Amino acid sequence: MSLTLYHRHVLEDYLAGFEAKANPNHLSVIRRPAIFSVLAHRGNEASVKQALNSIEGALLHDCAPGEWLVVSTASGAAVVENLLGEITGASAIDQSDGRVLLRISGPNVRKILAKCVAVDLHPDAFSIGASANMLCCHVAANLARTGAEAFEIIVPRSFAGSVFEEMMEMGREFALTAAFAEW
Amino acid sequence: MASLITCPHCGTRPKEEFSIRGAALARPHPAASEEDWHAYVYLRENPKGRYQEYWHHAAGCRRWLIVDRDNVTHDVFSVTDAASIREPSE
Repeated sequence: MSLTLYHRHVLEDYLAGFEAKANPNHLSVIRRPAIFSVLAHRGNEASVKQALNSIEGALLHDCAPGEWLVVSTASGAAVVENLLGEITGASAIDQSDGRVLLRISGPNVRKILAKCVAVDLHPDAFSIGASANMLCCHVAANLARTGAEAFEIIVPRSFAGSVFEEMMEMGREFALTAAFAEW
Repeated sequence: MASLITCPHCGTRPKEEFSIRGAALARPHPAASEEDWHAYVYLRENPKGRYQEYWHHAAGCRRWLIVDRDNVTHDVFSVTDAASIREPSE
């Protein structure tokens, strides 16, 4: 009984009815990412960041000084939790159920995001690998650049529907499509 | 109102990401007189011109910042993390 609830993504109803074939501008909703919030204890910021960077298959998102989001789509939450538990001077908490991971990519992605965030996303100002917390569609989200035309957005679960609808609206002129993705 | 604030952690951001607490005053000593504490809690100068305020970067790094700005010309002179000027006794 609980299994069917567990597998139901918060954006399930929003995505029903969208065409399955992805256009060049595409928004992927990752079904079950492992997302952990990690805080470094005072004085351990540099060593914790180094340890986090060495975790294989996990992407580090900067939130604030000494605070990160560790995102992994390759490993499950339990595996990541064990790896994070081995790091000294850090506290980690599982946010996988509390956050929604969106990936947007395509040739017009910056034009779409220009209507969602108030941050300069030119490669000179926001290079590949850069990430920060910012307002995205009026919601405090974390945005990371994963490629020249690819971004990852992490939003709180309860705001995911509103952010998703607004992003699809902003992407309509560029024929933005959306679908679930496993990783 | 200054509309672009350069957060020392996040970069240049619009003011919508912040909430403003008010003047950045030096906290009195715990044993200070009642008058000092009353002034610290309730009395504000409301100056015209340059002064320092506490701003919270609510939608960004969620750190308290001290914004040194002019409320007439909208110039922002400096933005620093409030923790960086913490008094040694605290």
